[in-house]
Amino acid sequence: MSELDEFKATYFDECSELLNELEEQFAAIEGGDRGADRLNAVFRAIHSIKGGGGAFGFADLVGFAHAYESLLDQVRDGRVALTNEVVALCIRANDIVADHIEAARSDSPLDAGYGQAEKERFESLCHGEGNGDDEGMEEFDIDFTPVRVDLEAVEDAEPVLETLADTDTFGEATIEEPSELKAWRVTFQPHRDLYARANDPLLLLRELSTLGEAKVTAHLGEVPALSGFDPFAVYCHWTIDLVSGTAGETEIREVFEFVEGDCDITVEPLDSQAEDAPSAPAAESTDSIEAFDQGFGDLLAEAELDPPKSLSLVEETQADEALSAEAQKAAPPQAPVASGVSEDSGRGAGMQSIRVDLDKVDRVVNMVGELVITQSMLTQQMDETLRARYTELVRGLEVLAQTTRGLQDSVMAIRAQPVKSVFSRMPRLVRELATKTGKKIRLETIGEQTEIDKTVIEQLSDPLTHMIRNSADHGIEQAEKRLAKGKSETGTIRLSAEQAGGNILIIVEDDGAGINRERVLNIAREKGIVAPEQQMSDEQIDQLIFAPGFSTAEAVSDISGRGVGMDVVLANIKKIGGSVHVRSWPGQGTRMTLRLPLTLAVLDVMLVRLGGSPYVVPLSSIVETMQCARIAFERTPTGGQVMQVRGDYVQVIDLAKRFDMPTDVAPESRFVVLCEAEGGVKVALVVDDIIGQQQVVIKSLEENFERVEGIAGGTILGDGNVALIVDVQGLRGNFTHQNAA
Amino acid sequence: MESLALRDDAIDNGATIVGQNALQLIAFSIGEQTYGVEITTVREIRAWNGATPLPNTREFVRGVINLRGTIVPIFDLRARFGDGQTTPTKTHVVVVLSVGDKWVGILVDAVSDILTVSRDEIHVVPEGNAIDAELLNGIVTHDSRMVGLIDLNAVISGTRLDA
Repeated sequence: MSELDEFKATYFDECSELLNELEEQFAAIEGGDRGADRLNAVFRAIHSIKGGGGAFGFADLVGFAHAYESLLDQVRDGRVALTNEVVALCIRANDIVADHIEAARSDSPLDAGYGQAEKERFESLCHGEGNGDDEGMEEFDIDFTPVRVDLEAVEDAEPVLETLADTDTFGEATIEEPSELKAWRVTFQPHRDLYARANDPLLLLRELSTLGEAKVTAHLGEVPALSGFDPFAVYCHWTIDLVSGTAGETEIREVFEFVEGDCDITVEPLDSQAEDAPSAPAAESTDSIEAFDQGFGDLLAEAELDPPKSLSLVEETQADEALSAEAQKAAPPQAPVASGVSEDSGRGAGMQSIRVDLDKVDRVVNMVGELVITQSMLTQQMDETLRARYTELVRGLEVLAQTTRGLQDSVMAIRAQPVKSVFSRMPRLVRELATKTGKKIRLETIGEQTEIDKTVIEQLSDPLTHMIRNSADHGIEQAEKRLAKGKSETGTIRLSAEQAGGNILIIVEDDGAGINRERVLNIAREKGIVAPEQQMSDEQIDQLIFAPGFSTAEAVSDISGRGVGMDVVLANIKKIGGSVHVRSWPGQGTRMTLRLPLTLAVLDVMLVRLGGSPYVVPLSSIVETMQCARIAFERTPTGGQVMQVRGDYVQVIDLAKRFDMPTDVAPESRFVVLCEAEGGVKVALVVDDIIGQQQVVIKSLEENFERVEGIAGGTILGDGNVALIVDVQGLRGNFTHQNAA
Repeated sequence: MESLALRDDAIDNGATIVGQNALQLIAFSIGEQTYGVEITTVREIRAWNGATPLPNTREFVRGVINLRGTIVPIFDLRARFGDGQTTPTKTHVVVVLSVGDKWVGILVDAVSDILTVSRDEIHVVPEGNAIDAELLNGIVTHDSRMVGLIDLNAVISGTRLDA
């Protein structure tokens, strides 16, 4: 059943997207935007989750989602007011849906009563202002064993029978008091678009049948022979005779509200006397592969089922297009099989995107990386004599270079994604944090459309969570405290993303109390992170919160304060080639800035030489380069070396000494590469020689080795040799640590 | 760059010993000593062609090389056994091995043979020499030569200066 597993995987992928969508919509709804669009989006998301879940037989999920959906439906209709309480309930419900999905994914069932309270709350809300119909509908649909994709499920006749039995009772329940039975004839002719939008006529027919007794007739006359069968075409339409005590034309039309424009609907009153009073409902069934084989002619039967006052529905699958034959559910043996064709939904039409396994994209990225290296190697091989002799070859190489660059950009664009996918998880986090801490916190997000490499995005979730937790727990003060300080009662955490040159800046900013530097320093001294006599600037103290094992929380809370967290942030961000900087203003707030590379794969670098080995320095961090001969180095009392750059003293790091690379280059003919580390702090690196600029593909050292202090990774040069990437930020950190030790 | 061809007759010799307990080794030499690693861990054998040195690592980490687009560290086995760094020439050999999910290279003087030994013949490393005991899994005798079985995990650990 590997094919089924594939469908499941796709379903779970979709679910996580839909859950994100829910988060987003509720963030807006919570923010006061209660437009119909929002609710419709929520409704659609839940509906899709339910529908897919049904296809795989996740009964718990479907049951819960259905109850949730019913409530949403009533909210949408205005029958239930969208109060704050309802919004909170819905948000809680989203979590429960997510848990159900996770349970289904990991195949670890939740407790039987999980979400029951919420489910009951839905029902009571629905009934508070709803009517009896909905109760019926609900039970009906839950009992209905949902659509399952199981090609071997023909023996499943028994559950179907049970279903029929259940619905029997229900059928009686709804039309207990037929005030005045009215009959309607509804004709329903779906268009191709209806299927293309993944709607399912069965669901509509089923909903229609909740209004009363429905006799569904499928018109299959247009179905061609299998050889001429177009799976995306529409061959079938329906006539439904509905006898209902309550529903009028409006109610009937409401059923088709979702598909308006994608089908032709007529609703006409019918002379009820002309019909058999307890009109027997027809079964809706779908075709199996065998059915196709037999040809549709044999199946053009319209069946009337015996059990009176019952709706008998035979399950149908709303399957993915690939599952071109839908599972046939055996109808009760005593009942002749009615046949209704439901073509596969032709979602293929007008599709704008495809799902591609990330591994496949990565393979392309890697190969393009190799291509870039090969291309630059070829270019390097062309010396002047060759250039003069083979002009055509040179031109070809130039075109190759351009094309390679274009290819690289395009591949990188495939991997780029808006940061929205991470940002959208944060409103919930802030909500939870606000509840747990009892503080009033508002989250503002800016620039969520900023695109970054997918791998970076995946690595971003944990650090951001920690940072926001930190802001909520340590930064934002309690409401009374804020008021006393003359601030607004509600604290604000601002999460923003922007592109700055070759980097993406992600900033988490709060308007809380700021870092208590005295306390931070005391704790750092207590824990031995900082030597007792060491003097530190405000900025250095702020950075201490990222030191491993550092935590200021007096009591360990379950939010933050385990002493892991901020150093995890630093580690995670470093791993993806980024850096973290924190700035704090006492009493006014804290700003944490993550600087991330736009892409992980290529880096513009300056190639330098050091003790006979090639090193590269990321171009993004280089301010300028100078010849050592023109610079006056000075010694600090502690033995460090500094130089003056436009009035500022800058720390000088001789890489040959730091990396223990013996060099025979005369000091005056060496070079200084002035770099800017995080927070605008400059550092001067002394190297033997500057070779030039180029683009390189970053390779991990940790893949086969381990992290090396002061080295951010490796890269392969045009000549096939490995060059090491200098970790400018790490070198500075190293300096501080050495002083501290 | 070119891989060294392994002698066919060596493989034939090896195939004559059969049985569940047979263990095939690639034997290589460092000075007068012969060492072996299990043949299944060997990915590639290539001639020494230089490596980019890694800063802040112990002397037995010779640096990293580019193995078809992947960066692979090279360990100097002579230095690992505390016998000073090898002065490699073009005739020195790098044996690329997989250790867990990592690929590493070890720099040796020469690859000598493929040996087939029985697992029963593996002797415990005698106490006394701490480095041998740390880096060897056992000792086998083959053609009256002593072959030390390299414990790859031990060889690649403890690379940092501060470790």
